[in-house]
Amino acid sequence: MLKVRFRREMRREAPGPLAIPVVRGAIPLSWAEAAAAARFTGMPGRVLDLPGPAGRVLLVGAGTPASALDWEQAGAAAAGGTGRAARLTLDARGLAPEAAVALAAGACLGAWRPGRHQSVRGIRLAALDLLVDSPEAAAGPWERAAAAVRGCLLARELTAEPANHLTPKAFAARLERLAEHGIAVDVLGRKRLTRAGFGALLAVGRGSAHAPRLAVLRWRGSFAAPPVAFLGKGICFDTGGLSLKPAAGMEAMRHDMAGAAACAGAMLALALRRSPAPALAVLPLAENAIGAEAYRPGDVLRTLSGRTVEVMDTDAEGRLVLADALHWARTRFAPRAMLDLATLTGSVVTALGRHRAGLFGTDAALLAQVAAVGEAVGEPVWPLPIGRRHREDLDSDIADLKQCATGRWLPDACHAAAFLREFAGETPWAHLDIAGVATREEGEQGPDQPTGFGARLLDALVERHFEDPDRH
Amino acid sequence: MPDIAFVKPALPRSGALVLPLPEAAEGAEPASTLRQALEEATGGALARALEAAAFKGRKGQSCTLWAPGAGLSKIVAIGLGKPDELTPEAAEAAGGAIAPMIAQEREAMVAAEGMAPELGAALALGLTLRGYRFDRYRTQEKEEDRPRLERVAIATADTAAAKAAWAPMRAVADGVALARDLVSEPPNVLGPEEMAERCRGLEKLGIEVEVLGPKEMKKLGFGALLGVAQGSAREPRLVVMQWLGASGGKGKRAGGAKPVAFIGKGVTFDTGGISIKPAQGMEEMKFDMAGAGAVIGLMAALAGRKARLDAVGVVGLVENMPSGTAQRPGDVVKTYSGQTVEVINTDAEGRLVLADALWYCQERFQPRFMVDLATLTGAIIISLGHEHAGLFSNDDELAQRIMAAGKAVSEPCWRMPMGEAYDKQLKSDIADMKNVGGRPGGSITAAHFIQRFVDTRRGHMPWAHLDIAGTAWASKDLPTVPKGATGFGVRLLDRLVAEHYEG
Repeated sequence: MLKVRFRREMRREAPGPLAIPVVRGAIPLSWAEAAAAARFTGMPGRVLDLPGPAGRVLLVGAGTPASALDWEQAGAAAAGGTGRAARLTLDARGLAPEAAVALAAGACLGAWRPGRHQSVRGIRLAALDLLVDSPEAAAGPWERAAAAVRGCLLARELTAEPANHLTPKAFAARLERLAEHGIAVDVLGRKRLTRAGFGALLAVGRGSAHAPRLAVLRWRGSFAAPPVAFLGKGICFDTGGLSLKPAAGMEAMRHDMAGAAACAGAMLALALRRSPAPALAVLPLAENAIGAEAYRPGDVLRTLSGRTVEVMDTDAEGRLVLADALHWARTRFAPRAMLDLATLTGSVVTALGRHRAGLFGTDAALLAQVAAVGEAVGEPVWPLPIGRRHREDLDSDIADLKQCATGRWLPDACHAAAFLREFAGETPWAHLDIAGVATREEGEQGPDQPTGFGARLLDALVERHFEDPDRH
Repeated sequence: MPDIAFVKPALPRSGALVLPLPEAAEGAEPASTLRQALEEATGGALARALEAAAFKGRKGQSCTLWAPGAGLSKIVAIGLGKPDELTPEAAEAAGGAIAPMIAQEREAMVAAEGMAPELGAALALGLTLRGYRFDRYRTQEKEEDRPRLERVAIATADTAAAKAAWAPMRAVADGVALARDLVSEPPNVLGPEEMAERCRGLEKLGIEVEVLGPKEMKKLGFGALLGVAQGSAREPRLVVMQWLGASGGKGKRAGGAKPVAFIGKGVTFDTGGISIKPAQGMEEMKFDMAGAGAVIGLMAALAGRKARLDAVGVVGLVENMPSGTAQRPGDVVKTYSGQTVEVINTDAEGRLVLADALWYCQERFQPRFMVDLATLTGAIIISLGHEHAGLFSNDDELAQRIMAAGKAVSEPCWRMPMGEAYDKQLKSDIADMKNVGGRPGGSITAAHFIQRFVDTRRGHMPWAHLDIAGTAWASKDLPTVPKGATGFGVRLLDRLVAEHYEG
């Protein structure tokens, strides 16, 4: 993350370019002519780069900002337009502290790039000076915002990791490092999973040389109450198993643990800002590989819940590992609510594209809260149905239920949600299918980049709805 | 379709007798007079049978007695569930459940005297809808396999009230049957011209019907619709149907009142064109005019029940074929609105037809609102499955009304999102827009394409789009829909109009 400092004035030494957010139609006088010539009006996302003897200035379109989100986008645009500069100064003087903080958050999010593994790294933006009227007034809001930003960036870092670097074991080790922030981490390996009866998770992980794990992250909070539980699909690489995926695009399947990464990010954000709410993340980590031991279509698995599942397609593995995780979370920790995040289906991408996650669940109030928070933090979702027919389609001749339906034109996202619902019991539950939004297309710049979608949403959800000790 | 009559409760002397029975509380209320008469006539056979079959009146339960005496061919008891849960929808479902049980009888009576007369009518509606059959092309069917039902008497305490409730329902059932007939017709029989002829048949109900051929459409500049049609040997048609009911059926437009408008996609067969579809399942593509079928059925329903409003139905009828004259991927067409479209995929043709039909409808009628229906995208099936139609709208009030109406008549809709980010996926390098926006959010970008032809120059135009690709055809029997064409949309939009736009 960028090193962020709030200052009253520009530093003298190498301040980097000066970015000035411009509200639509309010061009600063000194640059009015240049802006007019370039037809720059302050439209959101547009950046006008003005080199000059007194230093480089970036006019950054902020549109007509109505919310913190709009300022965040301006901050991201400023960071994106910086080019080869190690430091950026952002002029937030005259703005409310919340707007200034949103600019900084946006810049941090917009500046992030993967690339830990590049041996030659060019000059990258590393530091941000924010010019504000009162650094003291910005400090508090920034501490809050920075926690969410760091959570989001952790989710992105993890998601960006190649699968040879982030095996289930390595993923678990990374999560164990969160202990330094006061998060209790317990990792269940193959033996404990076998003893407990994680039949679905173990089956999915069986084809890989890297054994599966279940990571349980706990944040105590400051009042005694049942925790809110996050569950994240953590398939470190998804070949599809015997129902093998096509070669083209398979490299993107290193992102198939983005749900688990987002949950981890949310836990980090809660810890960094010392949230009073008790919270919990249950993250099944596995690699869905091909091997002599791999599970097969047609296999019948006994899940942790005791319910049996007929495997139809080994590439529908996410719902299997989540089934065990949901049951574990529910029976072991009796949470107030369970929210699972998963890059679960291609169907949700067909349904909602790359702009919204699919939202499913059993609790209308929780769903409404998730939807509202998603809009507020810029991680929008859209409700989708779990119909009677969706569940009927999963009836099996040989087991308690099928893992998915087969045929053409399947509402697989709805089927997956209907499947998961069977393991959520009576606990208020929401499921976010983030297959379309876990990464963002970067155009010509290369492959899709992780967004960290969900980390900020979960953090904000807890802040708004789970931190009142008298309401649970 | 059997005749439905409402009669005073009295034991019939022949045929089948159906007893819809609620789930009784312990020490239940006294049985109806008809039931008592029946028990007397059969020496208590029914009571013994119900006991033996552990019949409790639960939903889905039934019990059949063959030749129980008293001249009856059979007695069927069916469970209604808990009395306080007997909604019109549940009564319809009960009627639907009865239909296959009496299909082989010539005459049947349903003892509905324990229900409110309106619920008795709802039961008749469910029975009628479920009893629908498209058998025009069966020539070798054995007599015993053929349904024989000619007359159903619904016994009710208040025949006048039941009849009054039934009259509009019957018109709607006729509309649904018409829509189902049109969708069921094979594509060699029903092309654009033949379908337009069927529309002309609505004139006898008092509907004004105009048919535009290729010459008129060319003159008007329907470049998008004609582009789709140009590959087929069959000429396209645009049919405009007007029901002027606001003046009480005097055939005059009420002063200043704007009509409500319904627009339907009517691709009588969709091969996909040059972007041809896979062979497997292509025969299903005769259903690709189900949106138009629903609009035609709806107009028949509105006229049939003399709805007190002005309504206009516009259907664009084409056949999408590959040939030497067919439209190519890469073609740019100019729509009636003046906007240009780069055709990326000739199988995304429905939206092209709707573009011109919608614009024409607005230019000519400036309606209060527009609802279009179309079997538009496979993506909506992958999104929602076959229970819900996809609902897209620029107007929350209209959308909520459609959702509520759909729920009430068992034609549920699910609202889908729209937004600028989706609209951008339609950007073309060469024209005003592409006709497809890629796989992600495929139904949403299709809706955005259509929305670009909703004219807002005169202010807000409430518009809703129903993607019925998943709901126009049922692959298995549903409570009030036999397997096959569903007629989805007729009841929904009739209810919408009845609830909010009449009188």
